[in-house]
Amino acid sequence: MTTATAIEAREVPFSEIATAMVDVCPRAGAMRALVATVVAVGPPDRLDLATDTLQILGDAGTVRSIVISEGDEAAPSARVAGNTVALKGLKPQYVNNAVAALRLSSLPTLVWWRGGRPETLDELADLADRIVLDEDEPETSWRRAVKLFEATAFSDLRWARLTQWRALMAHFFDIPEVRSAATQFSRLRIRGGDHVSAELFAAWLTSSISFGAGFHVEIERGDEGAPIQSIHLLDQDQELMLRTGAGRTCIETAVSVRGHRSVSRIVALADRTPVDALTEELMIRARDLAFERTIQALVAD
Amino acid sequence: MNENPLNDGLRLEPTPGPTTFVIFGASGDLTKRKLLPAIYRLSKRGRLPAQFAVIGISRSEIDDDAFRTQFRESLAEFAGPDSWDDVAKSLASRMYYVSAETDDPEVYRQLKARLEQINGAEGVLFYLAIPPSVYGVVIEHLGTSGLSRPGERGWRRVIVEKPFGTDLASARALNQLAHQHFDEEQVYRIDHYLGKETVQNLLVFRFGNGMFEPVWNRRYIDHVQITAAETVGVEHRASYYEGAGALRDMVQNHLMQVLSLVAMEPPIAFTAESVRDRKMDALLAVQPLVEDKQNGGRPVLSNVVRAQYRAGWVNGSEVPGYLSEKGVSKQSKTETYVAGRVQLDNWRWAGVPFYLRTGKRLPKRTTEISIQFRRPPLEIFRRASQTSVAPDLLIVNVQPDEGISLRFEAKLPGTRMQIAPVMMNFRYGTTFGGEVPEAYETLLLDAMLGDTTLFARHDFVEASWALITPVIERWSGLGDDVPTYEAGEWGPPEADELVGRDGRRWRTL
Repeated sequence: MTTATAIEAREVPFSEIATAMVDVCPRAGAMRALVATVVAVGPPDRLDLATDTLQILGDAGTVRSIVISEGDEAAPSARVAGNTVALKGLKPQYVNNAVAALRLSSLPTLVWWRGGRPETLDELADLADRIVLDEDEPETSWRRAVKLFEATAFSDLRWARLTQWRALMAHFFDIPEVRSAATQFSRLRIRGGDHVSAELFAAWLTSSISFGAGFHVEIERGDEGAPIQSIHLLDQDQELMLRTGAGRTCIETAVSVRGHRSVSRIVALADRTPVDALTEELMIRARDLAFERTIQALVAD
Repeated sequence: MNENPLNDGLRLEPTPGPTTFVIFGASGDLTKRKLLPAIYRLSKRGRLPAQFAVIGISRSEIDDDAFRTQFRESLAEFAGPDSWDDVAKSLASRMYYVSAETDDPEVYRQLKARLEQINGAEGVLFYLAIPPSVYGVVIEHLGTSGLSRPGERGWRRVIVEKPFGTDLASARALNQLAHQHFDEEQVYRIDHYLGKETVQNLLVFRFGNGMFEPVWNRRYIDHVQITAAETVGVEHRASYYEGAGALRDMVQNHLMQVLSLVAMEPPIAFTAESVRDRKMDALLAVQPLVEDKQNGGRPVLSNVVRAQYRAGWVNGSEVPGYLSEKGVSKQSKTETYVAGRVQLDNWRWAGVPFYLRTGKRLPKRTTEISIQFRRPPLEIFRRASQTSVAPDLLIVNVQPDEGISLRFEAKLPGTRMQIAPVMMNFRYGTTFGGEVPEAYETLLLDAMLGDTTLFARHDFVEASWALITPVIERWSGLGDDVPTYEAGEWGPPEADELVGRDGRRWRTL
């Protein structure tokens, strides 16, 4: 993945952003095709990571990156560096106006929601083609998002980080004997450092498969550094297992169900930096119906 | 539960069901360079099924462990120095080897037993990475041993590498043999060009946009150039190449596939049969390359040029001529360069020439499709500008830098009216982020998933040979010397004349 490079930055009034972007845009190199606008929105203390991430995406030259921190300013100055624009301390009620003015025309706009005034989320839903939620305590936004599913596509950065875990669980169910055994599983045990990620995975699995009565989910607290460490779908003598290997660079998988010989393998645990997760989100243009179904199941509980 | 409910809404593309990948020619060059690295990368990206195994078959007398060592060496050389990781080790533990002569029926009994043992004989993908001369033997044995037919569940498919036949008669015979033991839907004739993103994107570019298709015809397009240039010589493939040459090796398959994608009519849906039907229509519209006219009792061959490289300088080094390459006969008449002028007899393309060229030891490694549009009907800037107006160009770069470029005219800044061409570039490698998969990864996965869209159908292969075979016969009947070109130059003067006769030039690459 591209790393941030030194690009000339300039502080300008909002009205001069477009001119400044042309002036400070690197002149060297071939022109590239633009694909989207990515906007990070949130309180100032939650935007450091977003600023670094969007600077990297912006430097790659194919997206326009906009970072907007909420504050009390009606007319904050803007910092322009290459394809990245940062607005510091903008009044929340003007965030949607700023996005409307700065987004690339006729290309998708992805909003990376790091938190903030709840009404802003509603306003951005009218502008954005996709909103990626990313908060420590996401439940309030999830509840709000459920009402906005018809307005725009939603996702969650945690959800993007679960893609590989979901895919590996899905691979088990490509085996006919595993599908036949589905209703016999009685227990899902997830261990990891992020309770919310575990809840998301459990809600996805249980809303996708009709397990038998008495099926229950156990979530165990694990190491902080690994949102998910292991996932076991169990019955008395049957098990589907996913767990991170040594060094957390890979995932070990094993399946053991009646009528099928045990199979195990190791696959790489893909690097899931915010840049990777957002890049994945940029590749998805349709509504994520599995995510919507999962969130609806979660907020209904 | 018949279907997998967890695949619904999964962000990753579908993954095949339980599969065993059986490679005939497991110790060969293609296996080491392409197949094993592709399998590793698919595994690394989690694209292989939970239940997956590889069985290698070849004459080398090695065991499972030695085959795994070969896998490790292959990755070190062709997948990067850090590739021997936990994923590779896990994959290696599911790799097995059968040492055998492919004409020994016992081999197929052993293979059947091993498949039962490994995955209960569900999905099995056979890959014929063997010399074309033994395709028939293996296909026959797969059929008579019952390996070509799946059990109650699962599937059997066979991938056949190029060349599929050496002329029309042999291609027909091979197709007939394949159809005795496999249904057409089970046969995957691979052409790795079709696995490249840009080649697939050509369909999206043409049929996913409203603005290009209206100008994609004889009214707006002056001509099309398709170039597949290599800097390498014959390398270690002399024994194969001596019997093949550029016409069989490149034109019959790769260039004809690309030509058909450029020239085809819109399919009614993006389905394998619909796309392949329209490609077939385009190929059937190609006029014969050998003309009906006679010259001294021999049919005229004015639309095809062949040549052979002589010593020269490529990529910063002096290189020998073709006749001095190891394994090449000193009297060889094998062509290392072909240029052709192709015309299509249909409403869309009547009168629009398609110029094809391919060669070894050319100055640059590049494969591209160049669509040259007609000039404006009136040159209104001729008096005002000192520079002439160049025709607009749309360039589809197939390799090495996959993407699409558009060249058009723009006014140079200043008070005077001066016109200059500018190029807008779209590059796959940088635009969307993420990795662009290797062609073999795409195609192997498609075959495991049962998607034949990017594979050649039997009738396409035969139609392509029907065009090429008369040229081969005409050349083989000639006692003439083969024209030569200096290694590191863009082909012989005859190729320039071929295009020059029409008042055109090859695009500068």
